[in-house]
Amino acid sequence: MATALPGKELAEALEAESRPRTLRTPMEGIVEAAAAQALTDDQYFRLVGQLWAMKRMYYYVYGAWGSSLTINQYPPSVDYLFAKQIYDESTHEMLYSQAILHKGWAKFQRSALRHPYCQFVPASGIGLYIFSMRGLANYAHSLRMAAIDLGPKVLELGWLERLAAAIEDDYLQKLFASQVPETRSHIIMGRFMVERFVSQPVDVALCKELVSTARRDYTTALLGIADFVLTPAVSPQRSVSH
Amino acid sequence: MPTLRVDHAKCTECRMCYYACEEIGINAVYIDLEPRHRFEIDAHKCTYPTCVVCLMYCPAPGSIVEVETGRSLVPPPPDLWRDRSEKWLRDVILAAKERP
Repeated sequence: MATALPGKELAEALEAESRPRTLRTPMEGIVEAAAAQALTDDQYFRLVGQLWAMKRMYYYVYGAWGSSLTINQYPPSVDYLFAKQIYDESTHEMLYSQAILHKGWAKFQRSALRHPYCQFVPASGIGLYIFSMRGLANYAHSLRMAAIDLGPKVLELGWLERLAAAIEDDYLQKLFASQVPETRSHIIMGRFMVERFVSQPVDVALCKELVSTARRDYTTALLGIADFVLTPAVSPQRSVSH
Repeated sequence: MPTLRVDHAKCTECRMCYYACEEIGINAVYIDLEPRHRFEIDAHKCTYPTCVVCLMYCPAPGSIVEVETGRSLVPPPPDLWRDRSEKWLRDVILAAKERP
């Protein structure tokens, strides 16, 4: 007889808690502006540039998480899923960089890296989120994967789908739409981790806390991006005050 | 001019071709915007046979082929090992920079 997965209900509850928030992220302003075809080429560059900056920083986050994973600490499936998630995030980072070159916003990657729109600013919403995620390196792998995959990733899937549906430009539409299946698989990975590895009361409490914190900090990052895109006078630093 | 394509049955998607091509500023290797995100080579940007950087870095035998002849170029056959001096590499990079 199959054994019930210890964290099944918790995983469902955490995902269900994040799902309704997908309609209330700061990206909604960008989605609406895109649907109304009110975004300029420069604003799309700002959006893609900042998303690229955020995705680049995932190397920094996952690097810290990976260094605390020990051989045989978890079954091979966990290590494989983590490696696959790193690979996917890397693909998304490369897609944004490729879009910047394809659109002619920069001629070479090295010039894109120097462009103000593509900079990672430590004192910004993205900075807050990235450092918050990096700080999870001290927690159990199951907890930090739950935090990122059942919090921010659920929100990301929501805005990715709606933005892809709203954008008229064929290239940009595909840029966002093509990331949807991988992002959806990351949420499933988060569910997998919680279902199988979060059962102790202390872990359950921590898991809830971390998912909530990750979701809050990711929303702050999105707020910074939305401000930067929709208010051209704003620099990425401003979002730190939120 | 002969052109290159990726043989997806053999490519391991390690991305070395992408990084090498981007590093020297040619940007001919790109990620296809479909959910599988496979790597492709843009024949309009690729400067093969002048540049063979991707072939030198690719670790998966048979994964990059010459479209016209169908021959595998990984590992690079001897006729591609011509004068690959520093001056030649500089010329390739300069040519890429000068392209509009």
